Amino acid sequence: MSETTPPAVRLENITKRFGDVVANDGVDFTLERGSVHALVGENGAGKTTLMNVLYGLYEPDGGTVYVDGEPRSFDSPHDAIDAGVGMIHQHFMLVDTMTVAQNVVLGHEPTSRGLVDRGTARERIHELCDAYGFEVDDYLDARVEDVGVGLQQRVEIVKTLYRGADVLVLDEPTAVLTPQEVEGLYRVMDELTAEGHSMVFITHKLEEAMTAADEITVLRDGRAVGTVDADATSQAELAQLMVGRDVLFETERTAHEPGDPVLEVEGLHASDSRDVDRVRGVDFTVREGEVFGIAGVEGNGQSELIEAITGLRPVDEGTVRFGGEEITDASRRRRIEAGIAYVPEDRHERGIVLDYSLVENALLGNQTLSPFASGQLIDWRAAREHAERIVEAYDVQPPNADTHARSFSGGNQQKFIVGREIEHDPELIVAAQPTRGVDVGSIEFIHERLLELRDEDRAVLLVSSKLDEVKELSDRLAVIYEGEFTDVVDPETVTDRELGLLMTGRRPAAVADGEASAGADELERGTRADGGER
Amino acid sequence: MSRAETVRRNARWALAQLVDASVAERLVIALAALVASLLLGGAIVLAAGHNPVTVVLFLIYGAIGTPGQVAFTLRKATMLVLAGVAVAIAFRANVFNIGVQGQLVVGGFATAMTILWLAPYLPAGGLAGLVLVACGLVAGVGGGAAYAALPGAMKAYADANEVVTTIMLNFIATGVLFVLVDGPLKDPEAAAPKTLNFPDYAGFPSLLGVSDSFSLVGLAIALAAVVVVYVVMTTTRFGYDLRTTGYQAAASAYSGVDPERTVVSTMVASGMVAGLAGAVYVVMVVGYFQDPGVFPTFGFDGIAVSLLAANNPLGAVPAGLLFGALSSGRQFVDVNLDVPKELIDGIVGLIVLFVATPELFRHLGRRAGLGGGEGPAGEEGEAVADGGEPVAGPADGDESDGEPGPRTADGDEPPDPDGPTRSDGGEPA
Repeated sequence: MSETTPPAVRLENITKRFGDVVANDGVDFTLERGSVHALVGENGAGKTTLMNVLYGLYEPDGGTVYVDGEPRSFDSPHDAIDAGVGMIHQHFMLVDTMTVAQNVVLGHEPTSRGLVDRGTARERIHELCDAYGFEVDDYLDARVEDVGVGLQQRVEIVKTLYRGADVLVLDEPTAVLTPQEVEGLYRVMDELTAEGHSMVFITHKLEEAMTAADEITVLRDGRAVGTVDADATSQAELAQLMVGRDVLFETERTAHEPGDPVLEVEGLHASDSRDVDRVRGVDFTVREGEVFGIAGVEGNGQSELIEAITGLRPVDEGTVRFGGEEITDASRRRRIEAGIAYVPEDRHERGIVLDYSLVENALLGNQTLSPFASGQLIDWRAAREHAERIVEAYDVQPPNADTHARSFSGGNQQKFIVGREIEHDPELIVAAQPTRGVDVGSIEFIHERLLELRDEDRAVLLVSSKLDEVKELSDRLAVIYEGEFTDVVDPETVTDRELGLLMTGRRPAAVADGEASAGADELERGTRADGGER
Repeated sequence: MSRAETVRRNARWALAQLVDASVAERLVIALAALVASLLLGGAIVLAAGHNPVTVVLFLIYGAIGTPGQVAFTLRKATMLVLAGVAVAIAFRANVFNIGVQGQLVVGGFATAMTILWLAPYLPAGGLAGLVLVACGLVAGVGGGAAYAALPGAMKAYADANEVVTTIMLNFIATGVLFVLVDGPLKDPEAAAPKTLNFPDYAGFPSLLGVSDSFSLVGLAIALAAVVVVYVVMTTTRFGYDLRTTGYQAAASAYSGVDPERTVVSTMVASGMVAGLAGAVYVVMVVGYFQDPGVFPTFGFDGIAVSLLAANNPLGAVPAGLLFGALSSGRQFVDVNLDVPKELIDGIVGLIVLFVATPELFRHLGRRAGLGGGEGPAGEEGEAVADGGEPVAGPADGDESDGEPGPRTADGDEPPDPDGPTRSDGGEPA
């Protein structure tokens, strides 16, 4: 330890495993006192796991947590709070039916003669609000369910400060906020750092990280792949760090002439579960014998787009045609039966039932199809044979179809899902993040299978946030940003730098300029004004 | 803090053991729990100034002591198994049908009305009895299904919470049917609100001859329902879709299941069994339809049966038998011994609590991902952290305090006499 003030938090070589999955792999992270340090990465990169280790929710399998230079081991969030580390979760931990004041003091109520001392509680909340200029003060007696989301978040922050937190961890704090509320949050963060508090800001939105943070650490696949100064980086650089650019192998890829259109999407609009418009007018066609790739930083409407195509999300506007037939309003079941296979990005939620064996999972999505069902009756022998075939052909380890899906590693679950969907003998396969969390050998295997499908004149729609993956597999590559395609490019000729710019919303013309003039880098740097507009 | 840590680890270890327990081990645990609860209950009886041996023996005698008592136990068990299966179907799909009682009452009413309306058109005799009972059972199943379809549709298409709607519909069924049996449908001869009696020939043959209100036919119907439900759950598309929805609704939607229709059909299936329970009750036990307010609360007891059975239709059989035996044993003690009813109720409660608790924790443990070395709190991961971590900071001292934990990783570390002081040293000076 040096003579100078120790950093507020230092995580050294943190490793955290869940079964076979390594969520954090030797991560180092340093939060300087009085600064904001952003932690960015794709979903599943290990950001929240890392912070849960700091916050005492998870015990690390290796590594040490230092707070104020002292090595600490927290058994529970309670210990973490006692040491001055507080976390504001993405989903607020507030009691809706209690008042703002009650929520702030909950669990730490000042008492006099065994009773809650409301006077003292209010006084202390007043002091906090005065010190940081929170407008929470005016709402102390309002019930939490009656105040807006932005204020609820402010209540969370006041609550954490009330408990004496010195270090605040904000988990995706902007996800639920309007742009104006985001601005307000930035101001609060400024005031808190000015008072000497330190903050970890978890996000996967690059411009937010650049606007709000002093330093940015990028996590990818559980490893810290770089820490950069927010003033000295660009969104393109961050995007590249996030999605990785290490091409590990080259898959054999032969030239193949595409045939008739299989999937035609026109003017598609779709919204997320909060009714926010996430897909804003997308047009494209996927033809037989073609891999159509969609690249982009996660959260730019990819999920909503593929769910609208596969029938899991209603289409707000526009049309989807499959094999010439309009399927815009067709049920999910009809689309499966028509020959649309789907490898979902969210395998633990959708793709596989964790409490089912692989035999039962082999039936998922196939339950109306021959030979698995005749009428209402399920033919379990056919399902078992199918499961065993997939296990064998896709090298699922351990090769036991009776084992519950939960016991398999993420990579093996994924191989099973990919196998099941490809064995559907589909006309179109929609593959979303098909190799996420999968080991290198299996990635290669999955890539080869997808290309085989293409060579058999099937259509493949591939969505991935891994640049190398979409570039390598796609015949045509669209880049999505905020629900619109910024461009459709030839993956053979496009550069990573161009893709990086397109992924952050620069239109083709600007990309060309960016290539030409060095001054374009200035544009990419997030400034506070920029951040507010988005 | 170190003590809390040890407690936490021991608890985790115990949960993991429970999750991994085999069926035989679970039965032994249940029996041990039964014995332990009887011992504790006996101690309480003793403390209350009664003879614990007598009370426990009477409790057992009342449940299984004579053929009559066995019939009484089986009668209760028949009803509880059916109600438990009805609850289990819905719970299996994560639909909380608290309205089995109401569906049971409506089913019983439909059965009674069908038998009473049809009886005059058929010549009296055994054949007519068979037809009446068969039609009555079908009507009961239909009545229960219809009354369950209502909250199912409200949940599926209007987002109305089924817990609230089914509870309210219980009250509505009881209230409306009371008005009917106390008014237009009332047996003019009877003092209490009830319908006319069924014809003598419209009932289950007793077969055993020990009880008028229990028939092996009723028990056979309940067991057949268990088997049918089990087969439907495991070998049909409907059962698969239902279970998938219960485990992971998102995966179910992904597989092409229509979530709204599944909710309605789940409720209908649950209501069918509830209606069957009501039908069996009016045909086998009472022989008429009575004030639904005095119906035994099988629909609610069925929730306990289903939970004890882990929502598995096969498990509803032993769970229903246990509850049935306790129920008749309790009644026997109450009638024959001068022991306060409340004391006996408390002991029965203890038995249920003791038998249910291991299963409850087993489910909690599974929910938390314990057992099988899986999940965030899996043992393997921690063992690596403890054993493979060479750096022994002050914080590590906390983990190896004097108390021997059941985990091998803890045991491997030498006892640390300085544990408490070192843990103090961990605080910032």
